[in-house]
Amino acid sequence: MPGSLSFLKVFTPKTSILTLCAAMALLFVLAHPAAAQLSFRPTAEAVQEDQLLNALQRGDKITGRITIPDTRASSLIQPAGRDWRDFQRSRLPIIGGVAIIGMVALLAIFLMVRGRIRVDHGFSGAKILRFAGFERFIHWLTASCFIVLALSGLNISFGRILILPLFGPDVFATMSAYAKFAHNYLAFPFMLGLVMMFLIWIKDNIPGKLDLEWIKQGGGILSAGKHPPAKRFNAGQKGIFWIVIIGGALMSVSGWFLIFPYLAATVTVLQFWTVIHAVIAMLFIAAMLAHIYIGSIGMEGAFDAMGTGEVDLNWAKEHHALWVEEQQAKAGAPTDSTPRAVPAE
Amino acid sequence: MKVFVAAVAFAVVAAVAVAMVLNTIQEPSSVAFTTSGARVGDSGHNLIGPG
Repeated sequence: MPGSLSFLKVFTPKTSILTLCAAMALLFVLAHPAAAQLSFRPTAEAVQEDQLLNALQRGDKITGRITIPDTRASSLIQPAGRDWRDFQRSRLPIIGGVAIIGMVALLAIFLMVRGRIRVDHGFSGAKILRFAGFERFIHWLTASCFIVLALSGLNISFGRILILPLFGPDVFATMSAYAKFAHNYLAFPFMLGLVMMFLIWIKDNIPGKLDLEWIKQGGGILSAGKHPPAKRFNAGQKGIFWIVIIGGALMSVSGWFLIFPYLAATVTVLQFWTVIHAVIAMLFIAAMLAHIYIGSIGMEGAFDAMGTGEVDLNWAKEHHALWVEEQQAKAGAPTDSTPRAVPAE
Repeated sequence: MKVFVAAVAFAVVAAVAVAMVLNTIQEPSSVAFTTSGARVGDSGHNLIGPG
C-alpha cells in the first residue's frame, strides 16, 4: 500500500498540467510539418488569399487602418478597379475609335455621294447679318477650347498607341504634361462659353412642329432643290445645340470631379464619373466633327455665318426662309433679293 | 477674324487666371494629406512634391 500510495502521489494536479502541456507541445511539433507542407501548395494558398480578401472586404473595398488625415487612403484594394482599368484600356479606345473614325468615314461617304451642298440660286451678293459679334465671340471661345480639350483628351486614350512610338517617351511625356495643364485650365473658359451659349441661343432652339417637317424632308440636304422652311435654327442645328448643351453639361460635371478628385465620396464614384467623361467625350467629338463638316466644306456659304457674321441672302432664304421673312418684316424690307443687310437681332 | 483672335486670346487669359487662382487657394498634396509630424521639410520634386 505504501508503494501504491507513493505512485498516486506522483500524479498530483501539478504534474498532470505539465504532462498535458508536454503532450500539446508534441502534438504541435508533429502537426507543424503538415501545415508547412500545405503553405507550399499554390492552389491552397490561393484559396486562403481569396478567403482573406473576402474577410477583409467592407462594402466595395478592402480597407485597412491608417493614422494620416486622408481617410480614403485606408483603401487597400478595390476589386472593381480592375474592371475600370480594363474598360479604360480596351473597351474605351474601341468605342472612341468606332465613333470618331466611323463619323469621319460617314462624312467622307456623304461628301462623295451628295457632294458639297450648293446655293441653288447662286449667291445674290446681298448680305444679311446672321450672328452678331458677341455671339461669334462666344462660339469661337467655346469652339477653340473644345478643340484643345478634345485633342488633349484623345491623347490620354490614344497617345500611348499613336504618338509615343513616333516621338519617343521624353517628347510624349512632356507633351502630355502640358496637354494636361491645357485640358484642366481651358475647361473653365469652355464652361463659361457653354453657359453663355445656352443663355443667348436657348430661345431659338426650343423644338417645335416645324422641326418634325424639316426632319421628314431630311433637312433638304439629301437632295438638291428641296428646302424645308426653318426659322433661325433648323432641326439639325437645334440637335447640335442640345448635344452641345447636354453633352457639355455632362462633361463639365464629370470633369469637375476629375479636376477635384477628392470631391467624390468614394473611388467608385470617381470611376463612374471618369467613365461618363470618357464616353461622352468620344460621342461629343464625333458629333462635333459632323457640325464642323456641315459648317465648312459640307455646305457652301455656311462658314460665313460664324466667319464674318453675314451670310448671302439667297443662302439664308434657302436654309432659313421663315427667319429671313421675320428679319425683313422687322426691318420693313422687301422680300425679294434686294441687296440689303438686315440685322439678325 | 478679329472676333476669333479675341476669343482665343480671352480663352488663354482666362485659363491662366484660373490656374493662378487654383494654385493660390489649393495646398500641395504633400501638405494637404500629411500631418505636421509626418511632413518633411522639403518634399522634393517627386510625385508627391510641389514640382
